[in-house]
Amino acid sequence: MPGLCKGDPRSKAPAVGSAAWVNELGRARRPGPALPAAALPAALGSSTLSVHAGSRDDPATGAVGTPIYQNSTFVLGAEQYRAIDQGYARDRFIYTRYGNPSQWAVQEKIAALEGAESALVFASGMAAIAASVLAMLDRGVHLIASKELYGGSYAFFHHELPSLGFSVSYVDPRDPNAVRAALRPNTMLLFFEAMTNPLLNLVDIAAMAAIARAAGAKLIVDATFVSPLGVRALEHGADLVLHSGSKYLNGHSDLICGAVAGSRKYVDRVWPRLLAYGGCLDPHACFLLERGLKTLALRMRAHEQGASAIAEYLARHRQVGWVRHTSRADHPDHALATRQLRQHSGVVAFALHGGDAAALALLPRLRLMREATSLGGVETLVSLPFNTSHAAFTAEQRAQIGIPPGCVRLSVGIEDPADLIADLDQALATI
Amino acid sequence: MKNGIATAALAELAAEVGERPQQGCVAYGVQLNWRSGTRAEVEALPMRIGDEQVSRGLRWEIDEPRQLGGSNHAPNPQEYLLSGLGGCLMVGFLVGASVRGIQIERFAIEVRAELDLAGFLGVRKGAPVALGGIRYVMHVQAEAGDAELEELRELAEAHSPNAMTLAHGVPIHGALARTSR
Repeated sequence: MPGLCKGDPRSKAPAVGSAAWVNELGRARRPGPALPAAALPAALGSSTLSVHAGSRDDPATGAVGTPIYQNSTFVLGAEQYRAIDQGYARDRFIYTRYGNPSQWAVQEKIAALEGAESALVFASGMAAIAASVLAMLDRGVHLIASKELYGGSYAFFHHELPSLGFSVSYVDPRDPNAVRAALRPNTMLLFFEAMTNPLLNLVDIAAMAAIARAAGAKLIVDATFVSPLGVRALEHGADLVLHSGSKYLNGHSDLICGAVAGSRKYVDRVWPRLLAYGGCLDPHACFLLERGLKTLALRMRAHEQGASAIAEYLARHRQVGWVRHTSRADHPDHALATRQLRQHSGVVAFALHGGDAAALALLPRLRLMREATSLGGVETLVSLPFNTSHAAFTAEQRAQIGIPPGCVRLSVGIEDPADLIADLDQALATI
Repeated sequence: MKNGIATAALAELAAEVGERPQQGCVAYGVQLNWRSGTRAEVEALPMRIGDEQVSRGLRWEIDEPRQLGGSNHAPNPQEYLLSGLGGCLMVGFLVGASVRGIQIERFAIEVRAELDLAGFLGVRKGAPVALGGIRYVMHVQAEAGDAELEELRELAEAHSPNAMTLAHGVPIHGALARTSR
């Protein structure tokens, strides 16, 4: 393969050997890495980006769509050795943990959807969180995180980070004054979820970004619950945006993966942690994620439509005392949702008058909805916070953070809303 | 990576600073807290590099030898000054070698200086307080000719902030702030 750089051809080697000093090296950061492709037209919509961004037809056969590059290693050449020697190995194919065309394709698609320069995919959302958070920290520093964190993130922040010498303060994500009060001279990172579980509270990303900037800290936003179609966190000032790609990005409940997106500068900082901690995504999983992403916009419209209809139905039901969905005017963050969300998500929370016993009785009576954890899939999933995500809390602690007895979380799929409402209706009628 | 230095990242940093000059502005600080006698604990204050704050969390001690009234528990201020110069020259030399694609096998730098205590003690009118001069020797093992290594040494010195500060001098602005009990 003479002449092939086996990587991103726009990435040029620095002029090592001919430059006299650093200023003559002649290399600047650029978005990517990416394989060569005809440039897409500017200002494409999310549906078009979901389908086309990053995807590459096979040049050898004309096969439509990115081939699955199911290989662990690549044939080395002078350009690969040069990239290792001069520190731009992220732009060349060397070993799949470092990078693989199947990873690049889906990374480019995620970056396009997030309006980011660069992205990385991981073997799970937690792998993305661990590598990205640790990449942004110097030793011994302090972090501020939401007190409503997803359980997996909380376990990492509460159990792992202190063991590594970091300290963490937990604050109400809806209270900027509490965030400011928690700042310390060595606060280096603010970490919030764009939408919390199961209360579906929002965080004002621009306000958090302003606080972080003023304090010389970084802001990471986990946008798993809203997807890039709901909010483009980087445009609101986040430094990095994270996803558990197992949820909306992939959307079919058949894959565990994660992603981070941001500026090339910061994502390049995460990349060595991906290498060191090892959570890279297998090429076949990249294919599944890329295929799932192609219908993201279509699915998110269906999730939003179904969730809005179900929330409205539930709000009128006599056995339901409390409903949360950002489309509803009684959502405590409805004004922020109107300002910040481009699209509502498919997650609805509601509480039955009969408490946790009634909620438990509801689940086996549902015929279409699946009693399972996770969210963002094409099928509607239903779970109870009291015995899943918040099982470690007492009833009083759950009440303190606003989770009422009888709380049910629905991840509304893409089924016909009328069928889902009929399913809920028949189940509620027999409790 | 040759010499453990990513020349691609250096090039990208240079391009970034060329495009956005404020990204090249770096602010440093240390705070010395007196312990007793000539001994102090030093703490690196947060460093600012462009729009980023770097938390350091680094501490070290400073002392004088017994002959100068201390306990000889830590390097003294002049040794820190010389190591600060040597470290800065080392970075410049390794960067320059990496830019030229020269593999460095071994590198050491010896920095020496003298002063006349009469200046500090004030026992002889006109005795200089400052160091009489600083000499350093770089010990290098590398696949490169003497002329090229000498050129690198000169470039490293010319681009060394600490060397240029010491060679040309910069204003020092001092102030006093009273602390309450």
